[in-house]
Amino acid sequence: MTRKSRRLWLVVACMIGLGSAAALTLNAFSSNIVFFMAPSQVHSKPPPADRTIRLGGMVVAGSVHQEKVKDAPVAIFDVTDGQAAVTVRYEGILPDLFREGQSVVAVGTVNPDGTFRASEVLAKHDETYMPKEVAEELRRSGKWDPRFGKAPDAASWNTMTAADAPKKPATQTP
Amino acid sequence: MTHLPYIVAAYGLTLGVAAILSVNATLRLRQARRRLAAIEQPRTRQPS
Amino acid sequence: MGEDRNFLTVFIAGTGAPGTDGSTLNATQSLTARTGNLFHRYANPGRFLRMGAKLQPWLTWPALVLSLAGIVWGLFFSPADWQQGDSVRIMYVHVPTAWLASSGYMGLAVCSLLSLVWRHPLADLAAVEIGPVGASITAVCLATGSLWGKPMWGTWWVWDARLTSVLVLFFLYLGHIALIRAFDEPQRGYRAAAILGLAGAVDLPIIKFSVQWWNTLHQPDSITVTGAPTMSTSMLWPLGLTTLGFTLGFAAIVLARLRASVMESRVRTILAANRGRQSAAAAPQPDRATP
Repeated sequence: MTRKSRRLWLVVACMIGLGSAAALTLNAFSSNIVFFMAPSQVHSKPPPADRTIRLGGMVVAGSVHQEKVKDAPVAIFDVTDGQAAVTVRYEGILPDLFREGQSVVAVGTVNPDGTFRASEVLAKHDETYMPKEVAEELRRSGKWDPRFGKAPDAASWNTMTAADAPKKPATQTP
Repeated sequence: MTHLPYIVAAYGLTLGVAAILSVNATLRLRQARRRLAAIEQPRTRQPS
Repeated sequence: MGEDRNFLTVFIAGTGAPGTDGSTLNATQSLTARTGNLFHRYANPGRFLRMGAKLQPWLTWPALVLSLAGIVWGLFFSPADWQQGDSVRIMYVHVPTAWLASSGYMGLAVCSLLSLVWRHPLADLAAVEIGPVGASITAVCLATGSLWGKPMWGTWWVWDARLTSVLVLFFLYLGHIALIRAFDEPQRGYRAAAILGLAGAVDLPIIKFSVQWWNTLHQPDSITVTGAPTMSTSMLWPLGLTTLGFTLGFAAIVLARLRASVMESRVRTILAANRGRQSAAAAPQPDRATP
């Protein structure tokens, strides 16, 4: 072995060691790295009432009630991960992106009755980027309702551009 | 629902940093080239 | 370390590649020797400067044209997103800087490997120059991400896995910048910084996969190697242009700095040699004058 190949193997060995150490550490702390809990996790393992947690999930369509209590806006809505739902009560102004079917992360505590009291609501947009016109077209043609889940495969709407979308509304049937 | 200030700030910041990096690199390269040329010219004429 | 000094004197004198290691005994040895020779062909500063000067315009001008075209397209001609509206346009500068933050560090790690294993002198100089550029780009990535997060998520910053791992990358860059300049004897700084550069590469897969391994506020990647992009082509085009343009621009800036750095080290060497000739004592040239 020359000095060069010895150094190469030394570097490779060090990187393998460091990599596995990092992987084990991250694996061990996995539950702490997770940014939010899903409603089903909250149901199966309710955290203590004094502990602030983040609850993440989709806003259930038709569950949003907004009212005003002494001039302060209050929003009550259900957050679901498909298996369980948690009712969230939030006093404050909701982010622009908040809507039914949107993913949100609520920061707050779980009440003894199982509802969630949020001090902050963050909107979590997904990785789908789509022109407004295409989204409206998909909605109008009945291909997709943003309140009930993710947008269809990009390949199906990639060909639809802003220019030709309004021209062929009738032909777009599922 | 336009957030113009955020968009302008993001683009301005990106272009500003890119401009600083480019101008800095250009000036540094120019100065180094000038110095090297000034120093190499007399040396190559030496008979050694 | 006679070997190292040999490389350095070769580098300074600019008289060609160093000699090969004689007979080949095993596969690794021949591999390292062969790759070593390949790399060292470009260690000759004269040849590097000639090639760099030729390469520079091919990086600079396409970078300018593509970046500007992508920015204009993204700002004025690409459609607004159905849920984010015009704020989606921040993507056209945020995503390229995020990609460059990671790939710039990848370049730093490769330089570190070349430096540690093959003692490549040009790799050390490249590592010195990549550091500040990469750190600036990472700062831009974090800042534009914040400017995007405030209107869309409703917060400037959250401690989720993606954002935190990119912040760690920024600190790795800063640490590398400080470490490589921390020693009076440059060689020791290069060695220490190369170790940090390689060790820090562990952060790169964490950044990449953080959005898949853990729940994060940051959305998963829209463009993946395996799947179709979840993005309309009318947005994909300007994004591709800015990404390509910024990448070429990064390369152009690093190349320009590296050329300047090689020239500066040559100036220093010549000055030191002149001083040495002038002084009557004719003391051996100190190592400090080497790049």
